[in-house]
Amino acid sequence: MALVDTAYRHWTGRHQGLWWRRWVISENGIRASLANRWMRYLLVVCWVSALVEVAALFCVGQLLVADSLIVRLIPNTDAAIQAFVKGLTGWLEQHPEVSVRTTQNLLFYQFTTFLLSFNLIVITLTIPRLITRDLSSHAIVIYASKAVGRLDYVIGKLGIVVGMLTLTWLGPVVMAWFLGNLLAPDWHFFWHARAALGHALLFVGLGMLFLGVLALAVSAVSARSRATIGLWLILWLVGNAFVPFAEHSRPWLRHLSFRHNLDQAAVAIFQPKEDLQRAQTQIPILGDIVRRMTRQGPRRWQTDDAGSAFLALGIMVFASGLVLSSRIQRE
Amino acid sequence: MQFPEDSGATGLVGTRDSLLVRARFFAILWRVSDPVIETQQLVKRYGRLAALDGVDIRLEPGAIGLLGPNGAGKSTLIKCLLSLQSFTSGEARLLGRPVRKEGREIRRRVGYTPEQDCHIPGMAGCEYVTYCAQLSGLPFRDARQRAHEMLDFVGMGQERYRKIETYSTGMRQRLKLAQAIVHDPEIVFLDEPTNGLDPKGQGQILDLIRGLWEVHGITVVLSTHLLHDVDRICDQILLLAQGRILVHDTLENLKARRKGAAEVAVNGREQETITAFEHQGWACELQPNGRIRVEHGAGDLRPMLEVLRAEKASLIEIIPSPNALEEMYVQAVENSHGPG
Repeated sequence: MALVDTAYRHWTGRHQGLWWRRWVISENGIRASLANRWMRYLLVVCWVSALVEVAALFCVGQLLVADSLIVRLIPNTDAAIQAFVKGLTGWLEQHPEVSVRTTQNLLFYQFTTFLLSFNLIVITLTIPRLITRDLSSHAIVIYASKAVGRLDYVIGKLGIVVGMLTLTWLGPVVMAWFLGNLLAPDWHFFWHARAALGHALLFVGLGMLFLGVLALAVSAVSARSRATIGLWLILWLVGNAFVPFAEHSRPWLRHLSFRHNLDQAAVAIFQPKEDLQRAQTQIPILGDIVRRMTRQGPRRWQTDDAGSAFLALGIMVFASGLVLSSRIQRE
Repeated sequence: MQFPEDSGATGLVGTRDSLLVRARFFAILWRVSDPVIETQQLVKRYGRLAALDGVDIRLEPGAIGLLGPNGAGKSTLIKCLLSLQSFTSGEARLLGRPVRKEGREIRRRVGYTPEQDCHIPGMAGCEYVTYCAQLSGLPFRDARQRAHEMLDFVGMGQERYRKIETYSTGMRQRLKLAQAIVHDPEIVFLDEPTNGLDPKGQGQILDLIRGLWEVHGITVVLSTHLLHDVDRICDQILLLAQGRILVHDTLENLKARRKGAAEVAVNGREQETITAFEHQGWACELQPNGRIRVEHGAGDLRPMLEVLRAEKASLIEIIPSPNALEEMYVQAVENSHGPG
């Protein structure tokens, strides 16, 4: 092939800023992650879940509409359900500000923690594309020789995790809240449900940052994809399986599981138990049901060591920072 | 790929001639103002081992050959200049800026082809070069255009659309060169750019590299242990051994120091020519390639040419100061090891 030295032109355009260069790293990683078929399936699952959440919020709102299909269907159900719905409807009518807040807070607590499991799978698929492959192919040298520093590289890679979790966690949650309240019979639902959104944003935001930093650290541990995926699964699944055993012997060991710590953080932020107790005092007709739920309900609805959980998450972030700092050298 | 003359909207401007004039102009400006590379007592230690041991250099724009045996400190010097590695002590300035403080800004104006094979997995060649341009701050559209232009420049055809993992060594070397110059750097560091290439590929790549300085005014720092590569394209030589600078001079001066020897190719009558030279008292040797090596000891070739004319020898080629670089290299490296 003939080489013709006529193609070279000097470039005189304007350079983009630093944040743009960081975004380039994130955007490229997100695009590469979405090329994975399984990742696209997960994306669909998360957004379909959001539509289910919207449907649940819609149904709750329809209880206030006298001639709605749901209200018309209630007489055909059994007595217990009729009693529950009657109590809930009365509560919504008498204390809309409290009842909307409580029901949506509970629904979004369940929804965000439900989506968390799918997001951990998303991270499992993303981990090799973060730093692992750059280590194995020496691409780190290429990044280091360009106009991005080590910190820019890490921020760009963190952006990949945050971007992916925005698509599969934050996005569905915000969409469900907005669409669910848009379909409600009263505009005031938006205002009364603000706490649910605030709690969801706080938990999802903290979760995204924590999981992002942890995933980067795991991804930087080895240049082999299998090793980093294996380590992530050990931290997640084995750590989670270890929690019930530690509970009876040395409870502090539960904090070695980041999933347990995140669950505790969610309970501390959403405070679902307090919502149930509030409902119990305000709707006597539901008293027995609520009492049973708070007494025998899922143990994960209760938190007795939220401070320790946040401390453990902080220590994990610090340890991840140390791993990143030692593994991502200038070269 | 040809771009229209009025492509100013994308930042790609000017005709080839005007660009050549501009490149020359900036090169001249550099020459009369600041050195492109300047170090003072640069030291880089790995534990007790000094990879760079008080390096003092002041290099003007040009095609600079960084020579030295393996482990001499060539790659370490480049990495320190690009702030890919921190140095233990001393000062370094690249393009007039302090390396320690302005590493990122410097790297925006510098290109680098590492010695080792490095790429981003899963990318096609053109995607990779575009991405590298974006990392240097080019907007996407300009980055994509520049990427295709540079891939044309290094001689890559449709294979640019294939995954890099499927590339041969030669293609990867070309790709590394393309990513190093895609953002139009002022200086480009090339670490063993002809490794793994066949002779034809080596020649093509070296021609491109030579053009970067001679035609486009981009300073080239070529790190290699292949003397032929340096002899072919460089005008300044920096010889390193054991982390120290042994020689720093222009190739012209180095060859001038080695005047007094030449290689002559004649069309037949080799033995008669040798006899004629020996009558002058010059040491001669017929080499396996048919050329005659003559130690004539003169400052120029005129005495030799007179002998050849008197002998009526049919001259094919005459090479003044052959192997000057090699001899200088061997001597300098041997001296650096000391007697014994």
